Amino acid sequence: MSRLIDKKLSRRRFLGLSTCTLATAVVGSQVKVLRALASSGDITAPVAGDEKNIFTTCGMCVNKCGVIARVKNGVIEKLDPNPNFIKSRAMLCARGNAGIKVVYDPDRLKYPLIRTGARGEGKFRRASWTEALDLVAKNLNEIADKHTRAGVMFASTEGTYQDHFFNQLAECFGTPNTVRHPTLCLSSNIQGFSATFGTNPTPDVLNADYIIMSGANRSEALITPDSIDLLKGDGGRRKLIYLDPRFTKTAAKADKWFPIKPGTDMAFILAMIHVIVTEELYDHDYVKEQTVGFDKLISHIQQYTPEWAEGETDIHADAIRRVAREFAMAAPKSVYYHGRRSSFMSNDTQMRRAMAILNGIVGNWDTKGGMIPNSGIKLAKHDYIAPWYDDVPDRIDAGSVSFLSEKDGSWPVVQERVLAANPYPIKGMMVYKQNILASVPDRAKTLKMMEQMDFICTIDIAMSDTAWYSDVVLPEATYLERLDPIESLGGIVPVAVMRQPCIEAMFESKPNLWIMQELATRFGEEVAEQFNFTMEEYIQHQVKDNPAILAALQEKGVYFDRTEPVYGTTRGKKLKTVSGKIEIFSQRYADKGLDPIPVYTSPETIPAGKFRLLVGRHAIFTHGTTANNAYLHEIMPENTLWLNTKSAAGQGLTNGMLVKVKSPVGEETLRLEVTDKIRPDSVYMAHGFGVLSKGLSNIYGKGGCDAALIETRYCPISGNAALHETLVEVVPA
Amino acid sequence: MKTKRYAIVLDTHRCIDCKACTVACKVENNVPLGKENYRNWVGADPLRGSYPNLGESYTPSQCQHCSNPPCAHVCPTSATTVSPDGIVHVIDHKCIGCKYCMTACPYNARYYNEEIEAVDKCTFCTQRIQVGRIPACVETCPTKVRVFGDINDPNSEVSQLLAENPSRVLKEAQGTKPNLYYLI
Ligand code: SF4
Ligand code: SF4
Repeated sequence: MSRLIDKKLSRRRFLGLSTCTLATAVVGSQVKVLRALASSGDITAPVAGDEKNIFTTCGMCVNKCGVIARVKNGVIEKLDPNPNFIKSRAMLCARGNAGIKVVYDPDRLKYPLIRTGARGEGKFRRASWTEALDLVAKNLNEIADKHTRAGVMFASTEGTYQDHFFNQLAECFGTPNTVRHPTLCLSSNIQGFSATFGTNPTPDVLNADYIIMSGANRSEALITPDSIDLLKGDGGRRKLIYLDPRFTKTAAKADKWFPIKPGTDMAFILAMIHVIVTEELYDHDYVKEQTVGFDKLISHIQQYTPEWAEGETDIHADAIRRVAREFAMAAPKSVYYHGRRSSFMSNDTQMRRAMAILNGIVGNWDTKGGMIPNSGIKLAKHDYIAPWYDDVPDRIDAGSVSFLSEKDGSWPVVQERVLAANPYPIKGMMVYKQNILASVPDRAKTLKMMEQMDFICTIDIAMSDTAWYSDVVLPEATYLERLDPIESLGGIVPVAVMRQPCIEAMFESKPNLWIMQELATRFGEEVAEQFNFTMEEYIQHQVKDNPAILAALQEKGVYFDRTEPVYGTTRGKKLKTVSGKIEIFSQRYADKGLDPIPVYTSPETIPAGKFRLLVGRHAIFTHGTTANNAYLHEIMPENTLWLNTKSAAGQGLTNGMLVKVKSPVGEETLRLEVTDKIRPDSVYMAHGFGVLSKGLSNIYGKGGCDAALIETRYCPISGNAALHETLVEVVPA
Repeated sequence: MKTKRYAIVLDTHRCIDCKACTVACKVENNVPLGKENYRNWVGADPLRGSYPNLGESYTPSQCQHCSNPPCAHVCPTSATTVSPDGIVHVIDHKCIGCKYCMTACPYNARYYNEEIEAVDKCTFCTQRIQVGRIPACVETCPTKVRVFGDINDPNSEVSQLLAENPSRVLKEAQGTKPNLYYLI
């Protein structure tokens, strides 16, 4: 039996502000109603209505761009970019503009639903919030009684700003099993760069003269401000070298595109290091004073000649030499850009380590145009006390990989271990806006994992595939209907943002905090007490040491304490690594039995008739969450399978035909796009299609699902999924 | 003061084909959804070369607000007119839906809007200009491909760009005298 350890709840109260409310901050000058044309009698005079322009933040992707919502008579008419929002250089992308269709979407979840048919059958009945929440609490408590509290897992997305409350509830409920997105995204980057620099820095794209990108498709996988700054070359000084098996829109903007063989980027990087070291092009003083293990690197890279790398990468040795020399010449204003999604192959952490080492030896650390440690805006933290249950075991994925993130876990490992009930069963699942059926590799396996659950509850705004397979579905208010906490967006020039409700939440949708509070009440007094605050109080507390933040947010929709980067604050100082220096040689890795300097291994050879399946982002959709949006759907109604022109001819396949893509774990049917924009040994499909949920009416039945094809493989160091290790066959459908 | 002559100058080298301008326009101007109706669009020019030597560029486009607009010339009801600042308009209640203008436009800039039962097209977001704002496509663009302004004002950004850089207009030979200028 679980036992609540008797712990004094000496919570540092941040309350006592219960009377405060935040008046909605509207843009200073009201936009006047247009009458000019009306005066000519040519158009009908627009009716003046109650018009407000409200500062808020986009919620369509990770960037969280500043938005001014134009609201008239309680209806959001248009989302405009906030001109003060320096991080996004005052823009809104296609998704940001399409955000109003998240609110006004006939497919939206409108009220709580309880499943009545079989899982996946899509039969639900409308329920009251009370009934639905009672059912959730009852099920979770029963599972906890049977399997300890670790028997329930909490999976959440990020960026809603309210995910904190969801994770707080997980902790207060007493489970160690929270799973978040990093291992489907960037955890190997964080690991590889942190192991080298003690932190994961940001490349100073705006000021770099020479940028190399490996697959970080910045003109499509938009990251602010990098995607924008990449095109801001001053007088053409900027040079962009782009490596990708696909000719993406970033390739179209690059000075040179190399269609590198997938999975061989590390060979390219090691050969660059070889050239820079053997030709003594590195920053001698910096390397001597600020790095450890350079001597070991010298002997280590002897084998990695450009000629050797040519055989691995399909990039000419001369080209590798030239790029290496140019990179070193441009240093310290040169960066090997590491990007975000780093879930390429299972050696990804070591590949990122190699990138970090290359950056390190040219001395670009914390200097203009180089690799800059992030800063953030300081906000007061909300303290809470999670009850302690002494029978709760460690995380289910504990010990599976060398460096597991305590809060994020590793999705591929969790999926496998839950299925095997190893080392213990997990029978309940709470999901907050994470669409695991579209994002975790091997959808069939994820479905099995869900099938063995006694209970699944999903909180979302639309009927995602994951919601479709849940027992209780709870409708959250959308990002344009919520008051969300202040969030610091770290970077070279950090900003703080918040969301204000532009309209009242429609239907019966509720903000996550309200849902968490209701569940907390049902989990007992101790838990409820941790949620005893309003959003206004929470926000006031966040700015208690710096009220200027809230004032700026109300006045300009964004807070920043500087508009220009500050360089060199950590240069020559002790870094957060064990040695305090840049670790070319990692003793920490050596102690764990890992290669202390990255060692290259070749990817599996692709047999004739097979192709490597590549996935990637583009500028129209965010992962598996926006393809059903009416504006975006119109631009991209389905996904296609890219296949190289010569390869298609060799297989007798023609453009536009339906093809079956078969992998060891799944089979998907979609249309073929025959193109020169991809290597002959690879195929590519965009993410977000081939859905299971009939509740996504625009895209149901359209295209294929990449997650249904990708095998579960992961990086043994970071636990990051390896999304490019699957080989597929392509045949006419 | 000289009358205004509004124009857009585009630096297509900066365009990443992200479609922000297209979606912003549709929302701003209530362009019907799901019917292939657009006031502006972005086209990928034909792929240059063959694997592995490739090049691709992207060209955003819309009504060119021609100084010699063939659409206005063919309109039997004068529903298409040019305002003093050079913006080509369709007065929807005068439009009888004959679509002559759609045929006459060399840029394919017009569509028939079933919701308002009139031909519709880009207006440089007149409703925004009137309150001192710039068109939605110009404002939202991540890389700021478009610059909007008055080419009759020699100090405007558009005038400066056109003075400092070579540019071209689309289908010049048609004699339409477009007011969208593409930097070369
Ligand atoms: S990049 Fe686009 S989707 Fe992402 S936050 Fe900015 S506007 Fe929204
Ligand atoms: S918003 Fe700008 S970059 Fe994007 S497609 Fe339009 S013109 Fe091109």
